[in-house]
Formats: sequence, structure tokens, C-alpha cells
Amino acid sequence: MRVKKKNSSGNARNFITRSQAVRKLQISLADFRRLCIFKGIYPREPRNKKKANKGSTAPTTFYYYKDIQYLLHEPVLAKFREHKTFAKKLTRALGRGEVSSAKKLEENKTSYKLDHIIRERYPSFPDALRDIDDALNMLFLFANLPATDQVSSRVTKDAQKICNQWLAFVARERLLRKVFVSIKGVYYQANVRGEEIRWLVPFKFPENIPSDVDFRIMLTFLEFYCTLTHFVLFKLYTDNGIVYPPRLDMKKDKIIGCLSAYILESSEGAPIDGPKSNTVETQEVKTLDKRTLRSAMKADTNDNTEEQETDQAENVDDAKLDAFEDKNKNQGDLLEQPSQYNSPTATLFSGMIFYVSREVPIDILEFLILSCGGTVVSEAAMDQLDSVEDFDLSRVTHQIVDRPVLKNKVANRTYIQPQWVFDSINKGEFVPANLYMPGESLPPHLSPWGDAVGYDPTTEDAVEGEEEEEKTLDEDSEENEVEEEADDDSEDDEDLKAQKELELEAQGINYSKAKEENSLGEGTKVKVKKRKSEEEEEKDLKLIMMSNKQRKLYKKMKYSNEKKDEKIENLKKKKKQIAKTKSKLERLEQ
Amino acid sequence: MVCDKKDRSENKPSVSTKRTVESLEVEEPKPTDDELNVNGLIDESDSDDEDEDEDEFQSAEEGIVSSKFQDLDESVADGGSDSDADSDAEFNKLLAVDEGDEAELEYDSTDFSDDTSSLRDKLSGFKSKTILTDDSNVIETKFSDGKPRIIKPEINPVYDSDDTDGEAQNTIGNIPLSAYDEMPHIGYDINGKRIMRPAKGSALDALLDSIELPEGWTGLLDKNSGASLNLTDEELKFIAKIQNNEQTDDSINPYEPLVDWFTRHEEIMPVTAIPEPKRRFIPSTSEAKRIMKIVKAIREGRIIPPKKLKEMREKEDAENHNYDLWENSETTNDHIMNLRAPKLPPPTNEESYNPPEEYLLTPEEREEWEKLDPSERERSFIPQKFGSLRKVPGYTESVRERFERSLDLYLAPRVRKNKLNIDPESLIPELPSPKDLRPFPIRCSTVYQGHTGKIRALSIDPNGLWLATGSDDGTVRIWEILTGREVYKVTIIDISENKEDHIDAIEWNPEKSIGLLAVAAAENIYLIVPPIFGFEIENNSRLKVENGFGFDTFGNTKKANLNVNSDDEEDDSAGDSKTSAVNKQVAQWNKATQKQIENDIAIVITCRKIVKKLSWHRKGDYFVTVQPESGHTSVLIHQLSKHLTQSPFKKSKGIIMDTKFHPFKPQLFVCSQRYVRIYDLSQQVLVKKLLPGARWLSTIDIHPRGDNLIASSFDKRVLWHDLDLSSTPYKTLRYHEKAVRSVAFHKKLPLFCSAADDGTIHVFHATVYDDMMKNPLLVPLKKLTGHQLVNSLGVLNTVWHPREAWLFSSGADNTARLWTT
Repeated sequence: MRVKKKNSSGNARNFITRSQAVRKLQISLADFRRLCIFKGIYPREPRNKKKANKGSTAPTTFYYYKDIQYLLHEPVLAKFREHKTFAKKLTRALGRGEVSSAKKLEENKTSYKLDHIIRERYPSFPDALRDIDDALNMLFLFANLPATDQVSSRVTKDAQKICNQWLAFVARERLLRKVFVSIKGVYYQANVRGEEIRWLVPFKFPENIPSDVDFRIMLTFLEFYCTLTHFVLFKLYTDNGIVYPPRLDMKKDKIIGCLSAYILESSEGAPIDGPKSNTVETQEVKTLDKRTLRSAMKADTNDNTEEQETDQAENVDDAKLDAFEDKNKNQGDLLEQPSQYNSPTATLFSGMIFYVSREVPIDILEFLILSCGGTVVSEAAMDQLDSVEDFDLSRVTHQIVDRPVLKNKVANRTYIQPQWVFDSINKGEFVPANLYMPGESLPPHLSPWGDAVGYDPTTEDAVEGEEEEEKTLDEDSEENEVEEEADDDSEDDEDLKAQKELELEAQGINYSKAKEENSLGEGTKVKVKKRKSEEEEEKDLKLIMMSNKQRKLYKKMKYSNEKKDEKIENLKKKKKQIAKTKSKLERLEQ
Repeated sequence: MVCDKKDRSENKPSVSTKRTVESLEVEEPKPTDDELNVNGLIDESDSDDEDEDEDEFQSAEEGIVSSKFQDLDESVADGGSDSDADSDAEFNKLLAVDEGDEAELEYDSTDFSDDTSSLRDKLSGFKSKTILTDDSNVIETKFSDGKPRIIKPEINPVYDSDDTDGEAQNTIGNIPLSAYDEMPHIGYDINGKRIMRPAKGSALDALLDSIELPEGWTGLLDKNSGASLNLTDEELKFIAKIQNNEQTDDSINPYEPLVDWFTRHEEIMPVTAIPEPKRRFIPSTSEAKRIMKIVKAIREGRIIPPKKLKEMREKEDAENHNYDLWENSETTNDHIMNLRAPKLPPPTNEESYNPPEEYLLTPEEREEWEKLDPSERERSFIPQKFGSLRKVPGYTESVRERFERSLDLYLAPRVRKNKLNIDPESLIPELPSPKDLRPFPIRCSTVYQGHTGKIRALSIDPNGLWLATGSDDGTVRIWEILTGREVYKVTIIDISENKEDHIDAIEWNPEKSIGLLAVAAAENIYLIVPPIFGFEIENNSRLKVENGFGFDTFGNTKKANLNVNSDDEEDDSAGDSKTSAVNKQVAQWNKATQKQIENDIAIVITCRKIVKKLSWHRKGDYFVTVQPESGHTSVLIHQLSKHLTQSPFKKSKGIIMDTKFHPFKPQLFVCSQRYVRIYDLSQQVLVKKLLPGARWLSTIDIHPRGDNLIASSFDKRVLWHDLDLSSTPYKTLRYHEKAVRSVAFHKKLPLFCSAADDGTIHVFHATVYDDMMKNPLLVPLKKLTGHQLVNSLGVLNTVWHPREAWLFSSGADNTARLWTT
């Protein structure tokens, strides 16, 4: 009989440790890391670690053997090696002071492409869309980062460009579904080709850059994500008949920044009306660009201010006029819209014009309003103009304000805080605007994805029996807490009882009946308890017949469920406590 | 000339020693002349050979000096052979002395000084002689035979060459001088005479030297001659120059004036008068041609300037990026080993800039959050509430969070995990409700109180009327089961005398027609006929016991054919009879004494060790007892009708915990600490060995249908064995919190129970189906609690009522209880 060799099959064969992999590929660890990031190769957890490690139990990371085998033939790996020799040659030339030869070397530097890797990793377009969340998150973060010695300005600029292209696309196609303003930034969720894509845009504040973060890793990821998003955007744009890359309206870019500066043209040549009024003829844009650039150059000397102003005024007027035409067009489209956009949020703000005050972050609201079919007029942009009077503001329907007191209110407008926009989008319909008046304390902003433990903060306490129990509990706790307000408490109780009566009457139950029910309930309660305990006992007895494994699993599940319930209970209790203190405060004020 | 001298001088290194002799004669006028001569010579040599070094000078000087000495010597020889011979003899003598001396002490300085002084005396004498004989020139002496001998003065030939200069005094050639180290001489002269070693610096010499330092004294010793080395002023200067790296030759001037051969001054005026050519002033046509060529090439696009090339490349790159990567792709299914990175979980309400207030942390929660290590925190942020959007500050941890996500993406191992998204209740097995499985004991209806020690044993009589209990207080009591009235009490052990003894087992004879109670107390087994049944039954019982006396063997136990030798059948038949004959009697059947008869004891069986368990055969003739300490005789089978006791095993089977008869087959179940063995008594073979897997079994019970067995263990387990299946348990149940003491099947109903030290009794339903394919159905029915824990002992024994679903239990709290439906 042939003796079977050890470690030649199974786990021992299928997995390879990291150091073995590096040795096999004959590259440095840093290069290996980069290659893994590009190729999306990640460590595995073998079923049997001891077998995979050939009998040793030392903690190691394992890679799938075939993954490494597959890396061996990677063209990028060859490029890495070439780059290594190039670096050697360059340092040598520099060390010898041969500047010209170093320059020549530098010019003929090899560069690698990631196209084929993206194609390999995402064989079909939906695959790529599925993984674009992380890419967008990273790009939006870098778009907001300052250029430092670790992050070059080219990188951040590229990231900004791609981000804006993405936003412009989402806004134009009205794909946005949900928005959530968190303390970390703004989460958006868009539905692109049936794929729910969620990304986080940090607030526009200077980022805190921790010292212990390795930017090389981040930049490697960014490099890959840039390429990936570029191809995804190209595909999305071209499939929707838009020219990619979109051109930038330099003038507008200068004025308010991001989104409206992008001109999305249809590939037929005639510019399509974007979500915003970006329909300025291309030639004009070109000339404008030149002019604005020139004016910007001269701006410092203040020589040609007049000329510049007039130019700008004209241009903006043009733009605005166009915008209104567009709106009319949209109105014409209104009938088609249900077929065009299959979500209520896509046409939520259609026909509405929002005037955004300058204290409101325009980048967030512009994107949201545009992608829901509204039109934006920003105060910040208006500031750039001199002839505000020319501008027709009478058609503005909403003004978004985020300041406590507002003077000079215009009659026909609805004044709202920005959260009205978020909550309306999440709900898919308008929420009552009176709750969101400027200076008003806002209702809580809830995540459209709900709660981690399944607690719903909007529900009122439904079960009355529970309420009663809790009431007694609360009373106890109250007594402990505030002994000084003893007389108040008694009043409280009376008040509560009266309140209760009223509530019950409102529900159509006679109070006396309810009382009887309660008393009856107490009698039955004991029985119920008994029954419950019996059932529990029966369950305990049934547990005896479970296998050990099942019992452990059951206990684990029970434990986690109980923890969840405990959290929910905790939240409920807190809510009740808060409500109580609030009502007390109100009463004191009265 | 001088060079030659030097060559030679190596051959006569000892010459300089003679110079000391010379130096002694400094007072005389001659040597001064010599010295002068020498000086002149040195000067000459100085001028002649510049590259000679110090040694050469030295040797040259020596050579000169020695030559003079030779002259002198020759003159001495001229002077007279007498003194010569004398001196020879003297020398020989001296040599002998010297040699002897040398054997003992080497180069004693005093010796030497003596020698030299004598030598000097000689020399001085000798000198005077030569001076005397110088006048006559011819010395007339006699030969030894008396004949006159005329020694004429040697002719001193005058040669120009230095060879004959007498310089080559020492003729030893290349032999190193060290070869003569032990000799008094240092070589031989041309005449074959010994050249004596010059006296080395004796004390007197040293003294003399110290008194008046000779000119050029250095304090050094010449290596070749052994004499002190003197140097002249010139020589010293010369050496100093060499030491300072200076030119030794004064004629060379190191600071010669610089002659500026190649001038650094540019001439203003042209050297030649040729006018500048024209070509210097007009552009080169050939160059223009070449440039035009390049320009043409650039225009035609054959040459691309580097700047443009770079731009083109960039443009190309940009265009290369703009294409549809997924142009003709088809959807492919993911490979099983390809695991997608999980998406980040969606943000929750807590993260909102304006969350409901209940999400905000209380100060205690906040403190707790801050105390935790960042990696252990449930969430990475503290929920905060801002009144409006403008108040929201920037988030400081975005970069780190993104970084950690990227680390997760490429560093974290990915595993496919099946998330169980099921209701935990669905894991609970589907079992029939206990309500449908009635009757079973639910509550405690009677408590039998009266014992003053813990009740280890209890038994219900086959008619189900009387409960017998045996307690640590040494008494056996019989109770009426329903009323709990104590009807009979007998003291078996006087605990005041035998504190260690207990009543360990008690069992009614299963025959209904007799009322016989077997009680195992310490080493004895008492068969009691309690007077509660009426005369007929009591009489029957007594008769049954007494019938056996006819079969009494009175000590000569006949070998029974019951012996079971399972493991080793070879030595079974042969060894059996012999060993049994040798065997002592394993148990003694004794008639009851008068006192015992008064206590209704019919017979007493005395074993060798403490009897722990007792169990009747179903027919009531045999009963088996367990004495765990008595080795291979730990299981004994007693026959009531013949008063016979047999030990079925020849070898010890470990510590036996329990034994039971099969309910209807001739089989014996023996439970040791770890295993349960089943023996066929008729064929005397081991039928089966069960491996319950418990560390220490306590009791076993056999299902009334005989194909199932339950065992309890001290390690909290109850094990159900299906004897038709494998030897490992069909079900291992672990629900007791402490050691399980007792398990029992009901004889009629599908019930069994287990009792443990945690004070609880679990009642189970156990249906065994006729269908072999169907596994037995076990349903836990009830957990009975009531017995108190005493010294961490709970329920010690249980027994079922023979007909009803009633359970009797005895505990460490000195009570027995009846549990009824």
C-alpha cells in the first residue's frame, strides 16, 4: 500500500501563510499588501487551523493557496518589479549627480493600469455597483481632506471631481431615496439599477487627521476606488446617454462650488436639461470660461470690475432664465414622470423653488432638492450678483432657514428648517411644515434604516395593563427621587387618574367598566401567572431532552434576545422618565 | 677600500672586545695617534659613500681598530714566543676554569673581572717583554728537547690590498656567533689561534667608564662585538638628521628659487598676426541644414518633442480610461471560495444629529462608555443632540473610521457563517404534553416521620400495602402507606455499640404469599418475618426459610454450577473445582439466636464484608448481594431454599456498585464503577458489556421488558441504554445539579424516576415500543421537590408502588415521602 504523505491535501494544501506567500511571490511585504488591496485578496479562516499550519498552533494569517497562485501571473506584479529596478536606477543616477539621465529615466517610468483587475474582480456591472459603497465613502472622505505632505493635491482634486460627477449623475437621474443627517456626516442612499447604494459625506469641516493612520494603505485603496468609480461612472453616463466626462462650468464652479457647475450633455450633442438649469450652450460656456478666468486674474487689481460685473450679471440672468424655462419643460413632463421615475421621492419637490439661506450648507440641500425635482436659488450665489432686483424671487415657494429669529418675512413663502427636507424625503411625502418653523425646537430626526435593536421611538405605549404596572413602578421611583414634592405627587396621582379617565372615555370605554375589568384582571392575574409558571416549567423540562449543542445554542440565542429586550426596555423607561419630567416642568411653568 | 673592510668585518665581530684592551692603554701616546687616524678615515668615508648607515660606520671603525690591534698582536708575537706559550698555557688553564665555572654559574661578573684583571696583568707583563725583545729582533730560545731555537721576527709583508691587512681575524665565516656563546673564545684567527672573547664590561670597567665617559659614549653595546658602542659627534648629527627626516646631504638645497616655466599671465598682444577667419562671423550652413532637417521631421511628425509627447501620452491615457469596461460581460456566479466583503451596517437612530431624547446617555452610561477601551465599546461615538443643523460640529474620527474599514477589508479573515435567524423556541424538541401522559406522581401526599437517622433504604411489599424503611438509627420500620402510620419497628443495629454500621439495603421478598423482608446491615443479612400479616403468611414465610436447613452443607460448600467465567474460558473447567475447594466459605447461614427470634429474625447470613446492595430474583428463591470491598467475591448469590451461597466470579471485576437480575431471563446485570456487564447465568458467559461513559455509576435499573436499562452516575448523569443497540448509551441526560443516587423503573407503567443529592426527583415517561425500529420515547414529566438537604445529601433512594403511579422516596432529612398523582 502506498503511504500517504502528510500535509499534501486538504487544509494543509489549500491554505498558505502570509510569509510563505510573500516568499513565493518574491516581493516585499509592502508590495504584497498593495497587490492584495488591488486584487481584493483577503486572508481566510481555515476550518482547522492546526492542520492548515502543518501542526503548529501559532497564530498566523492564512491565504487561500489558489489566490496566491493567481497573483503569480498578475501583470501588475511584473510592473512592481520593473518599478523596483527603476527606483534603483534612479537613485543611482541621482547619487552620481547625473541629472539628465535621471530625468530621462523619470520620463520613461513604467506605469500600471488597473482596468483588467477591475474587470476580473467585477465580471459584470452589477457586481461593481454592489461594491461601490466603500469606494464612495473613501472618495468623499478624501474630497474633504486638505492636501498634506502625505496626500497630494492632485489626489484630493481627483476625488472631488469624481464625487461631484457621481452626485451630478444621481441628482440628474433622481435616484436618491433616503437621507440621514448624523453626527458623522450625511448618509445618502440611492437606488442605482436596483442596487441600494449608501454613502457617507462628511460635513465640510477641516478633518482631524490622526497621526497613527497609515496613509499608504488608504491611498492604495483610493487609487483602486478612483479607477473603479471612473469606469462605473463612465458606464452609467454613457448608458443614460450623457457625455462623460461632463464639462465644468468654471464660472459657476467659482461661485457656489459643486453641483450646478456640471454640465451634463446628451451624447446626441444638444445639452440635456440637467436636474438643474445647466443648459448654457457649450460655445458660450467656453467663452465664458475664458472671460471669467481673465476676470478672475484681474480681480485683484480691481481694474475691470465694472466689465466683470456686467458680464456676470448677464450670464447669471441667462442661466436663471434658462432655469425657469426648464421648469416649464418639467411641468410638461409631469405626466410622463410616473413612468420615468418609479419612486415618489423622485418627483417630491417638482415645481417647487427653494431659496436657501446662506447659513444652510448648500452642498447638502442643493443635491437633495435637485434629486427630488426641485429648483434651488441660493442666497450665497445671489450675493455674488449685484443686480438682485433683476432677479425674480416671487416664484420662490420655500425658504430654508437655519437661524433662530428671522425678520422681513416674505408673504408667499413657507419658512422651514433644513430638517423638513430630510424628513420629507425619508417619508416620501411632505411632513407638516409647522413643526419645522425657524426657531422651533425640531422633532427628532430618525434614521430611515430604523434602530439597531428594533426599538421604534415613534410608537406610543399601547398596552394599558403594562402601563399600569409601569405606573406603579414609576411612582415608587418617583417617591425615592423627590421626597420634597410629596404633596405635588398626590396631586399628580389625582391628575393622572383624571387623565386616565378622560383617555378611556375618549376611547369609548366606561371608566367604571374599566375599573371592574381591572379588578377582575387582578383575580385572573394570579391564574395567568400560575399558568405561565407551569408553561415555563414544562419548557424547562423539555430542555432536558435537548442535546448539549442545541441547549448551548438555545441559551446563546435566549441571551442575545434578552439583551435586546433589555435595551428596548431601557429606552422605553428613559422615554417615560423624560416625558414625566417634561410634563412636570410644563406644569410648573403654568 | 673601506667597503672591503666592511665586508670582512662581519667575519670578525669579536674584534671590538679587544678594543677595550686598547682603551685601557689610553694614557700611552700611541693610541692617540691611532684615534686621529681613525677620525680621518671616517671623514673620508663620509665624503665617499653617502648612503652608509650607522652600522657600517661602526664596523668600519672596528675594522680599523682591530687591524691596529692585530698589528700590535703581531708585534707581541714578534716579541717572544715564551710569553706567548705562557699566555697560551695560561689561557688553557683559564679555559678549564672558565668551563668549570660555566657549568655551575654562567657569566659570573666577579669571575670575569678576575679573569680580565689577570689577563691584563699578563698583557702588561707581556708588553714590557715585547718592548724588551724589540731591540734584539732575534729571539733565541730552546726547543723542548733542549736544542737552541732561534725565532726570527716575522716578516711583515706590505700589501696594498686589504685582504692581507689582517683584518679577517675571525675566520668562522658564516657560522653565527651564538655558536660560540658557551666558549671562552669567539673564533679563530687566520693562524688557527683562538680569538678570545673580550672581557665584557666588568664592574671595574663600568666604574672606570662611569668615572670618565669616553668621547662619543652612547651607553649602547655593539651587537657584534659585545663592547660598548661609541659614536662621534658627526655620526650623532647624521643620525639626528635621519630621525628628523632631513636631508643628510648638505649639498642639496631644498629651497631652491622657483623658476616659473609656464606663465600664468595671459599675453595681451597676439602671438601671431593671422587675422580672424570669416567663418567665425557667418552662420554655419551645415548646422542650418541639420536644423532644417529636424524642423522638417517635426513638422512631418517624425520627431515628437518631449513636451508634446508627454501631453500626448496623458491624453492617450485619459482616453484609454474612457471606455466601457463591461461592454460584453455576462453575469457569472460567484465561486464558493469568493467571499464578498460585508457592507457596513446602516446608521441607527443613535447616530442622528437630533435623536429622540431617550437615546442620549445618562451620566452613568457615559462614564461607563468612557471607561471602556475603545476596542471594546459597543459604538464608537456618544449620541448627541443638536437643536439645529447649524450647530452640528465636524466629526473628528472620520479618517480613522475609514482607515479601520480599509484595514478590515484587506486584513480581516473572512469566513462564511450561517446566521441562524430562527426563533429559539423552535429548537425545543416537540414532545407530547405531560398532561396527556398521566398518571404520574405530582405532589407529596404522605410523609413518613419517625426515623432519627437518614433513611438509606426503603422497599414496598409486593402487595403494595406496607413500606419498609431502614435508617441510620439502626431500626427498620414498616409503615402503612396511605396513613403514614408506623406499624412495626425493629432495631437491627445498636448504634450506641456499632457506630459505623448502617442498614444499607432492604427488600421485600417478591412472592406475594409470604411476607419476608431481607435487611442488609453491615456484614449481616437478616431475613425478617414481621408480625403484621397474620399467622398464615407469617408461618409460610418461616417455613420457607426453615426448609433450607435440610440442605445445609455445614461448611462444605458444594461447587455450584452457577459459576460464570466469561473472560477466560480456557482455565474454566479445569481450575474450577480445585479453586472452589480451596475457597473458604463465602457466607455463613446461621440460625437466629433467641434474642433475634424475639425480634422476628428468621435467619442471619454473615458475609465477609459489608453488604451494600441486595436484590431479589423475581421468583423469590434467590437474592444477590454486593459487598464492594471483598474483591472477587463481591457479588454473592444466595439461595433461600437451600441456604446456599455462591460466588459466581473467580476474578475481581473492579468495585461493584450494583447488581440486578434480569426481569425474566436467567441473566445477571453487574454494575461496576465504569461498566455494566450482563452475564448469562445458564450458559455462564458474558453477554454484553455496556460502556455508559460515566466516571462513577451509582445504581442501575432494568426496564420490566428487559431490553432497556437506566444507570445513574455520581457525575450528575442519567444514562439510558438500549440493550439491542450499541454498548454506548442511547441517551445521556444531564439535568441534575448533583450526584444522582437512585434510578427506578415502574414495574407496570411507562414511568421512571431519578433522585439526586440536589433534593429533587425527576419523573419521566418512557414508552418502549414493540417496533424494533422505533426508539424509546422519553418525556420529562415532573420535577418533584420536597426533601430537604442535610449535609449536602438529598434524596437517597426511591421505589415505585407495584401497581399505582405512586413514588416513595427517602431522604437525608430522616423522612420518607409518598408522591401521588
